[in-house]
Amino acid sequence: MKTQNINIEKEIATEIQNTFHTAEVNIKRNKRIEVKLRNDLIPPFLSYAKNYLTFNHLAHFSCVDWIEQNEFELVYIIYSYEKGVIVLAKTRIDREKAEFVTTRHLWYQAETYERELHEMFGINFKGNDRLNEFILEDWEGIPPYRRDFDTVKYATDNFYTRPGREDAKDVRENVTKINKEEIPEFAKEYSVRSLK
Amino acid sequence: MREKETTLYLGPQHPGVTGNMMVKLKVAGDTVVKAETHVGYLHRAFEKLMEQRTWMQSFPIVCRICVPEPDPNEENLARAIEEIEGREVPERAKYIRVMILELSRLAAYMLWMGGQAGTAGLYTVPQWSVGDRDYIIDLFEELTGGRIYHMYIWAGGVRRDLPEGFADKVLRTMDYLESRLPEYDKLFFENAIFQKRAKGVGIIDKDKALEWGVVGPPLRGCGIKHDVRIDEPYEVYDKLDFVVPTHEGGDVWSRAMVRRQEMEQSISIIRQVIDKMPAGEYYNKVPNPLNWYVPEGDAYVKTESARGEFGYYAVSDGGLKPRRVHVRGPAYVHGVSLLEKILVGANISDVAFIMNSLGVCPPEIER
Repeated sequence: MKTQNINIEKEIATEIQNTFHTAEVNIKRNKRIEVKLRNDLIPPFLSYAKNYLTFNHLAHFSCVDWIEQNEFELVYIIYSYEKGVIVLAKTRIDREKAEFVTTRHLWYQAETYERELHEMFGINFKGNDRLNEFILEDWEGIPPYRRDFDTVKYATDNFYTRPGREDAKDVRENVTKINKEEIPEFAKEYSVRSLK
Repeated sequence: MREKETTLYLGPQHPGVTGNMMVKLKVAGDTVVKAETHVGYLHRAFEKLMEQRTWMQSFPIVCRICVPEPDPNEENLARAIEEIEGREVPERAKYIRVMILELSRLAAYMLWMGGQAGTAGLYTVPQWSVGDRDYIIDLFEELTGGRIYHMYIWAGGVRRDLPEGFADKVLRTMDYLESRLPEYDKLFFENAIFQKRAKGVGIIDKDKALEWGVVGPPLRGCGIKHDVRIDEPYEVYDKLDFVVPTHEGGDVWSRAMVRRQEMEQSISIIRQVIDKMPAGEYYNKVPNPLNWYVPEGDAYVKTESARGEFGYYAVSDGGLKPRRVHVRGPAYVHGVSLLEKILVGANISDVAFIMNSLGVCPPEIER
């Protein structure tokens, strides 16, 4: 089977490294290559990967909020049907001035991913003129998938509690009371609310 | 004279797909000039919720991402965790997982058949196919305790072993479903109404299909032979014998034929799995799930669901809870960018019909 060729990852990694000298190329495992790039090199890299290395399938486009470093990590997951390998192209952008360029000219469907990341993380993709309302409706305040968005606070501020559950108690307390049991110590420690 | 354009809102109540979404159509006469997908009716912020739960507590969330076919979600999350942690899965568990995935594919195709026929006005087919799907749902209920959402596949293997006599029941159900396929051919696939409605409608351009991110039966319906089970075999698919059907044409008819042939393949895979399933452990026990620190790292895993490539990108920062889990459902592309493209020029009465043929599942788009 074509995808069983273990050397193909090395070939691709070497080719990428030779073309993009500053890239950090790492073979994660069979069929997975990780490429870390400066953010200004991402558009030429994606174009190169698509047009020269046959990575013509944009499988996924994701964002991870590294709030501790005040950065967003953008991850383009591209796949070559011909080579049977996935490349995870990663770059970091400033979290405060969250701006990047669109890749819609390479993959039409990138528009949808960018619309979601714009809405959920507040990233502005220059060149994408369709960053309009996608999933949320009339959303105000900080974009909800940022790490500093407090889900519990938002829920308590905007929704009422079900009658009888005003105290928002852990249901296990009532269950154990009815069954005359005790919550084990370890479970108290790891209750959902204590997992902050 | 140019006809006056009118705006038509299709949905959000089940506009031909399982779930709520709306398509805003600009129509001239009864021809679609422009289509815009509107989602947001089913957004539950699952990915955000997962960031506030432990890895194992995320399993009851992910299965709810797709109602007709929840199992690829569980399998994907399990495999992502296992890849990040480097955890081995017992061989028996892998076979059981494949059995579950194929049963789930069959159930999803049964539901699709009902929906596809329903959007063509053939209302007997849903009565039959949803009834037959229930036999698979019954199997799931016996095995997992849940009819729709199973929470059965989890990190390290599966939750429990097959009950006594279960394999025989699965085989008997497969015999029954196989005997039903010729009946479905007569009722649905060979039906003149369906053929007339499906042929030449909702055509995806073969040359553009790969670049547009088309996956699954719509891709194979363009004559392009790609399937994650073959391209990047996971679990034990490399030890099983099956073919990947393709069909030329790229229209609703081709996609239907691909699914019809895949049903036979799924039945064959399930039989092989039961035949080859080894004895032994079904679960490589993980540490206390409430106190389980998954090592730092990330993974992208993918599964071939009934609608195409289902991917999970999971990131761990070495903590108790996921840093990020981002889901790539096939409907994300099929239901937005692809649908908006191929609806242009379609007849209004074909809109729901085309949507169903793409396997659009709205909760997958917004999660």
